[in-house]
Amino acid sequence: MKTFMQRQTFIVLHVIAIVITIGSMLTGFRIAIISQDWLAPISSLIPQGAVHSWHLGFSIGLTLLVVVFIGYTIWAPFRSYPSIYHKLINYLGYVSISLVVLSGWAVWANFYSHEARSIHQIAMWLMVSYFILHAWVYILQKGRGVFAAILPKRLKMTHVSAVLCLVVIGGFFHTLTLNASHQLDVHTIADTTFIEIDGQGNEPQWQDADTFTVTTIGGANFENGSTDVSIKALANQYESYFLISWQDNSKSTNHLPLLKTPTGWQVQENGFYRFDERTFYEDKFAVMLSDGCEAAGDKTYYSGDKPLKNKPKNWHGKGYHASLDGKVRDLWHWKAVRTNDMYLADDNFIGPPSKHLKGKRRYSAGYQADGKESGAYVMNWQWYSAKGISPKRLPEKMQSHQAVLPWFGSTPYQSAQDTYPIGTFLPSVLYRSNRFEGDRADVRARGQWRDGRWTLELVRKHNTHSKYDVPLQTGTCMWVSAFDHAQIAHTRHIQAIKLRYSL
Amino acid sequence: MIQRLIISALILAAFIGICLLPQAQPKLSQHKRFTKITQEGDKLSPWQGPWACVHDKQNHILWEIKTDNESIHDGYWTYSWFDGEKGKQNFGDCYFEPNRCDTHDLIRHTNQQGLCGVSKWRLPTAKELHSLIQAPTSPALPHIANDFFIHIKQGDYWSSEHSQPLAKQYRQGGQGATAINFHFGKSYTLPYRNAAFVMLVADLPTANIQPQLSRREINTHQKQE
Repeated sequence: MKTFMQRQTFIVLHVIAIVITIGSMLTGFRIAIISQDWLAPISSLIPQGAVHSWHLGFSIGLTLLVVVFIGYTIWAPFRSYPSIYHKLINYLGYVSISLVVLSGWAVWANFYSHEARSIHQIAMWLMVSYFILHAWVYILQKGRGVFAAILPKRLKMTHVSAVLCLVVIGGFFHTLTLNASHQLDVHTIADTTFIEIDGQGNEPQWQDADTFTVTTIGGANFENGSTDVSIKALANQYESYFLISWQDNSKSTNHLPLLKTPTGWQVQENGFYRFDERTFYEDKFAVMLSDGCEAAGDKTYYSGDKPLKNKPKNWHGKGYHASLDGKVRDLWHWKAVRTNDMYLADDNFIGPPSKHLKGKRRYSAGYQADGKESGAYVMNWQWYSAKGISPKRLPEKMQSHQAVLPWFGSTPYQSAQDTYPIGTFLPSVLYRSNRFEGDRADVRARGQWRDGRWTLELVRKHNTHSKYDVPLQTGTCMWVSAFDHAQIAHTRHIQAIKLRYSL
Repeated sequence: MIQRLIISALILAAFIGICLLPQAQPKLSQHKRFTKITQEGDKLSPWQGPWACVHDKQNHILWEIKTDNESIHDGYWTYSWFDGEKGKQNFGDCYFEPNRCDTHDLIRHTNQQGLCGVSKWRLPTAKELHSLIQAPTSPALPHIANDFFIHIKQGDYWSSEHSQPLAKQYRQGGQGATAINFHFGKSYTLPYRNAAFVMLVADLPTANIQPQLSRREINTHQKQE
């Protein structure tokens, strides 16, 4: 005799499905807003903060539910007699939820992430459609009676035990997936081997190193927001070298140029006022290091316009980087204009949220620069205003297409000397010296753009003994992000890349 | 059914209405202690600039703001301590004097200029200078409110406190003056001949509790930049 799923069992599974689906949709929307501005109007309706961890948790829940429901249905199907409309809508639900689950895990696993992300987004909208067409139409048809039908009237111990069991299994898989990582083997080289940091990567030792390729997604200006990043690593007894390469069809060094207009000098921008410039900006690349490996940046990203309690809102609504656990994560920030000619990456870190300064429009929470003894680039305006600026310095000799103005090849701005014709461009970046000195200069770097690809070489001591740096050793986890002429809209990947040294 | 459709339409309208509400921008708030003042003596909001002085409500003084424009207020210039009689003349480095620089030179030039509508500039007392020390918000920054006090170096800044006994290693130089180091947020007594940085101050008339800094009427601009 065929067994059928009890109504109360179905109701319990249905309630869990509602909670998990809503949770995954809300957290998913928050993640989607990071790279899809048109969703910003719903920002005030969805949760903020460390949503990636929650989203992964809901994904585990949804996956378990799908597995349990399929298993249970094969063993003991639920007997119901919906209308043809609801039967068809249920199929939409089965397809969309299955696609959401599979594509989500593919993104997590770096398995055709680029394609999987597109499928995930389409499936998510199908799931939203299903949710409305299923739930709302039932409510329209049945009114309040629908709640009486879908809420459990009494809970049996077997249901409570089964739910607890699912929570425990879910917790186990959540921990497992949250801390899973890729691996990058660091190839050992002799201390006497010379690796020139020139962005060429043409030393034979690089050929011997393993390549790990990660698909990074969700950035501005890249084709479909995505670029594959290939990473190689070498190490001698003292230092680690990284050769990183990524697709970027355009070399962008047009960094916030200053344009002479009939009303004065103007910063060319498209979002810089909100600290989210996406047109007139240099290409950049970031490497984050942490001794923790939790997915989605090891608890350093808090999304939303005001994700941190007692801290100010941000201008772009995208969130803040900060470490609320008090630990420091290292952040190397290579910039095609501002640091490339210094042969450096800006050595920064993500720490606890800093104190808010009332005199500064931009608050960057835990994203801070390491200390330096001297040297800097500064912006070539006396004070930034979207309405117009006065340059800080004028070049002694005007050169076309100059990305950086050297301090000692320029003189302080005087309006009497400002005889430049309308339409003249000036660089916005001034080098006060040719490099940083001190803690901020720990990472040597040089990038070269050729044939639609950036190639970047980086080197740093394994251990700088700075409290703002993370030592490079087996188990250190790494994340990478590319910026295509974007200030903050960078690509990202979920799982950490764990370094393994054989030294 | 019609009632449910109406309620649904209302819920949908409320949802769309909430979505269409303008997103609130970060809010500007005044600093309890400091106000930016322009070269002409006008008051600015905390997000406006450029500014040449800062009104310090706590000490009831104006602070000179350093620059990087190679003017007399450039933050890179250093000065030996000299008050016209005591101290060491012309042992600092600047571009605006034919010889080298001392604190007396900066005071003289700033008074001649009438910075922020004021012409009684002086060196701050050690207490005034010490009152600016606060923990930096980033390791790259000095121990001062760097949103108001820009171009401050992680080095020593002269106070007016002089005739102080020097530490053992400087004893051969006799007496010295007190300087505040904004890298460590501590005070030291340094020989007069040392090249240190300077931030000048000017007293405000006691009647002027609020920011009327000169005889001219102060324009207030609260517009957000």
